[in-house]
Amino acid sequence: MRRTRPNPILALAAIALLAYALLYASPYGLRVLTVAGVYALMAIGFQVVFGLAGALSLAHGAFFGVGAYATGILGSQLGWTFPATFPVSLALPVLLALFVGLPVLRLESHYFALATLGIAQVVLLLAVNTPDLTGGANGLPGVPGISAFGMDVPRGLPLAAMVWVAVALGGVAAWALARGRWGRALTLLRDDPLAAATLGLDVGRLRLQAFALSALYAGAAGALAVHTQRVVSPEVLEFPVMVSVLTIAVVGGRGRVAGAVLGALLLIHLPEWFRFLERSYLILYGAALLAAIVLAPHGLTGLLERLLPAKPRPLPAAVPLPPQVAAEGTVLRVEGLAKAFGGVRAVDGVSFTLEASRITGLIGPNGSGKTTLINLVSGLERPDAGRVDLLGRPLAGQRSDRIARAGIARTFQAAGLPEDAGVLDTVAAARLERDSSVAAARAHAMAVLARLGAAELASQRCGRLPAGLRRRVELARALARQPLVLLLDEPAAGLTDAEKAELAAQIRAVAAEGVAVLVVEHDMGFLLPLADRVLGLDQGRVLYDGDPAGVPHDPAVVSAYLGTPA
Amino acid sequence: MTDLLRIEGLSAGYGGATAVDRVTLALGAGEAVALLGANGAGKSTLIKAVLGLVPSAGRVVFDGADLTALAPERRVRLGLGYVPEGRRVFPGMSVRDNLEVASFASAAKRRAALEHVFALFPQLREKADERAWRLSGGQQQMLAIGRALMGEPRLLLLDEPSLGLSPKLAGEVFAAVRAITQTGTAVLVAEQSTARALAVGRRAVLLRLGAVVHDGPAAELDEETLRAAFLGVPLADDGSGR
Amino acid sequence: MTILQLSMNGIALGAAYALVALGFVLVLNATGAVNFAHGDLVMAGGMLAVALAPLIPAPGIALLPLVLALMAGLGLLVSLLAYLPLRGRPHVSVFISTIALGIILQNGANALFGGEPRAAPPLLSGGSVALGGLVVSVQSVAIVAVAALLIGAQQWVFARTQLGRRLRATAQDPEMARACGIPVTAMILATFALGTAYAGAAGLLLANQFFVTPTAGGDLILKAYIAVTVGGWGSVPGAVVGALLIALFEVGVSAVLSYPVALGALYATLLVILVVRPQGLFGEAARRRA
Repeated sequence: MRRTRPNPILALAAIALLAYALLYASPYGLRVLTVAGVYALMAIGFQVVFGLAGALSLAHGAFFGVGAYATGILGSQLGWTFPATFPVSLALPVLLALFVGLPVLRLESHYFALATLGIAQVVLLLAVNTPDLTGGANGLPGVPGISAFGMDVPRGLPLAAMVWVAVALGGVAAWALARGRWGRALTLLRDDPLAAATLGLDVGRLRLQAFALSALYAGAAGALAVHTQRVVSPEVLEFPVMVSVLTIAVVGGRGRVAGAVLGALLLIHLPEWFRFLERSYLILYGAALLAAIVLAPHGLTGLLERLLPAKPRPLPAAVPLPPQVAAEGTVLRVEGLAKAFGGVRAVDGVSFTLEASRITGLIGPNGSGKTTLINLVSGLERPDAGRVDLLGRPLAGQRSDRIARAGIARTFQAAGLPEDAGVLDTVAAARLERDSSVAAARAHAMAVLARLGAAELASQRCGRLPAGLRRRVELARALARQPLVLLLDEPAAGLTDAEKAELAAQIRAVAAEGVAVLVVEHDMGFLLPLADRVLGLDQGRVLYDGDPAGVPHDPAVVSAYLGTPA
Repeated sequence: MTDLLRIEGLSAGYGGATAVDRVTLALGAGEAVALLGANGAGKSTLIKAVLGLVPSAGRVVFDGADLTALAPERRVRLGLGYVPEGRRVFPGMSVRDNLEVASFASAAKRRAALEHVFALFPQLREKADERAWRLSGGQQQMLAIGRALMGEPRLLLLDEPSLGLSPKLAGEVFAAVRAITQTGTAVLVAEQSTARALAVGRRAVLLRLGAVVHDGPAAELDEETLRAAFLGVPLADDGSGR
Repeated sequence: MTILQLSMNGIALGAAYALVALGFVLVLNATGAVNFAHGDLVMAGGMLAVALAPLIPAPGIALLPLVLALMAGLGLLVSLLAYLPLRGRPHVSVFISTIALGIILQNGANALFGGEPRAAPPLLSGGSVALGGLVVSVQSVAIVAVAALLIGAQQWVFARTQLGRRLRATAQDPEMARACGIPVTAMILATFALGTAYAGAAGLLLANQFFVTPTAGGDLILKAYIAVTVGGWGSVPGAVVGALLIALFEVGVSAVLSYPVALGALYATLLVILVVRPQGLFGEAARRRA
């Protein structure tokens, strides 16, 4: 993930804004500024769920509306004041988010987006059709301004100031969270959910937390909006609000707090500059959104960064990984593992063990079940039958993040490192679940990279690396987990001879520390000298389990590969 | 014999890795060639590169036409037929529709081509109106081959046609492929199962880790060379194993 | 109203909804992309009919060919602006680009036509006819007839013509379709044109009995989505059946309780389905996230 340090332009912009507010703005101008602040706060929350977690939630406007109605109803009907209504406006949307998030967040992206749209429509219908509670289509007038502990915050400069203080506080909080372990975990899960799980991150819980936090911000924004308008009506729940937030987030720059603020300032003032368009200003929003997503997907902040690239963070000093007691003897025991896909038995009763400090090779022709086997052991697929025991602990059928936390790490056949991410951050992601801070994770990651002779890659982008170096980063990421069992899926594919020799040496060093290593490979010249033992698969069954030297001469193996006719 | 297909210095790969490494090879009209090698040797990638389904560097010339800038659908219309690994029949379409969709001729010629395919694969005629997903593996393989023939190709590219089939079915499939070679269509068959492929192709091209290590008559290919290519036992004259 | 009368209304509404769902699922199958603007395109078709009606002194049915043709053109524009530039990008980009187009359509319609509900002329006439002992409006019969004709035409083209085979192959496996010589990009454009044309036709059919407002698209996209989810994501007959079920549900619950309750119940049902049986009646299981 890109390092985030305040850009000098943003600091200048903040000062300009302050000057404008204090010296130039008319009462109407202050009102617009206040509304911009409200939308900025809402958009910051949206960036958490949409930008960081990567989920297009169309219920954000609904959370805003629920926060607005909570303050509106309690304030105008019951006469509650700000210290009482504001917490309710925060709590209700969060509760709603937790309630709907649990079933809905596990759905694939378009289902999720449309499910959240459905939720938004239900909330709108409720607001319009329960006039006794909500005032129906006309809403409720007479919502009081902010009044706390005997002090009033009148409209105009004081209210604008309060809203923008909330934006500042909320913005700093969100920015800090994004840079911390939680935020890094979220971006990993957005970019590569499979890898995130195999690095031990509880994907479902993270998404729910992001969703709930976004609802908190939306609720706060809703409460402040209603204090500004002094009226609450179904307008706060209608689609244009959601549209505005989405446009702000995309045009401002997805995932960036600064993007939310810049986007809000721009897009809320836009209709003022294009007054002659009246209600049709939304057409401009639509056009801006379309243009942004097609032409400038990284938004305004992305453009700014291109113009003024930020200085990269200095690399931390390497801190060795905490020592681990080396395991001994049988680490992994697999018995009778089976998995069928639509009638085809990909893995058909496979049993084997992996010993500490030993390298086991796994070979087999195309379609023999090697990758399925690794997927079963690492939890990406659930077995139909069989056991997988890690130091006696049964793991078969568990979720992949639980299996990862138990001590199994793996690499993938098609090296799937996130293109835009830096190498150090990618390796550090493996430590997020173990270390207590991002700094510690990065320091440990430096140590792992140094051990593999890749320290100088730390500040590069993964997408720029050639295959051999990418594989090394992937290996570093898996090693950073300090696993008991390491599953390598074709680690030598695409490497030059020299790189293969280095890789073999590195794998031997890893095994020497006590890790049980399983290597899937086609290149026999690489694998046979390296492995202590070789397993041969064909059509989902083990047909060889023994010495590497015997592999080229074993009739079953030769026949499976070369194919003797019936 | 002028070359029907000429591959010059072709390199192709996935995600930064080179699966095919500057391969040069040529095929004449009507020739039958077995493309051999272990998994990961580059056979599939080579075929996909010829069809334009993966990005590549180097040149591919088919019947005098340089294919480099052409999209796959254009290349296929020039006379290439593709039978992919895993068959990939269109599952929701009937056998007849699967076949007809692959023809780019008029309705009358299409019907004639259909008859020709049914004559070659009588089982398909029986199942003509069944959805393709209901066919067995062997029948789907025949359908995939028949589909590729509908475009009246001059060169048929087959990628692991015996994968996932029982020896008996694999035998039937290869018998059909042999029959096709006898009609004058050039055939390039990629196969892990060496014995089967050699029954079809007079000429064998052996790939190892993306490079050609043998290109000549199948009869000259001995077991030691094969073992070295598949199982990494170093070749006698080249101690490094590559 | 009697049950039979309600059913007739429900069937007519269902026929129009079926056209909407059909256009939606065709584009979905061909591209894997959810076109959020689909409901707004139906609205655009309705508004187009309203705008053209004064120019053509004939029953509404005469507008159909013109609406189909113009909306097909709009469909091509949609694919060029919001889909083709985003191929290869994650699917969420297409959601957003089509949301943006929907906003432009909605507010463009607002700017051109104003916000009040408008009605298109009836297809044949506004009267009623006796049908087997029941009195039904001519409009209902006409809607069912036109929808049946259009759906039948689509089924025929897809099942019997080479173009239809190519469209189906493109939807099932675009890479393999290329390898069979099929011009996949052209097929995708054609699918957008067809899907949008049908959306427009549905707009024409709905705009007489139900009036059309610029914001009508929002509910329609949700109903199309519900139809496709109920019927099974990607299944064409499923989408049609789903649409009929939605219409009958809507008409029934509206008559007994009220329209807003019907709508609310519909959405609530959608959420329940997504949670309990995401694969719908006909479809394969929805893929879960990791």
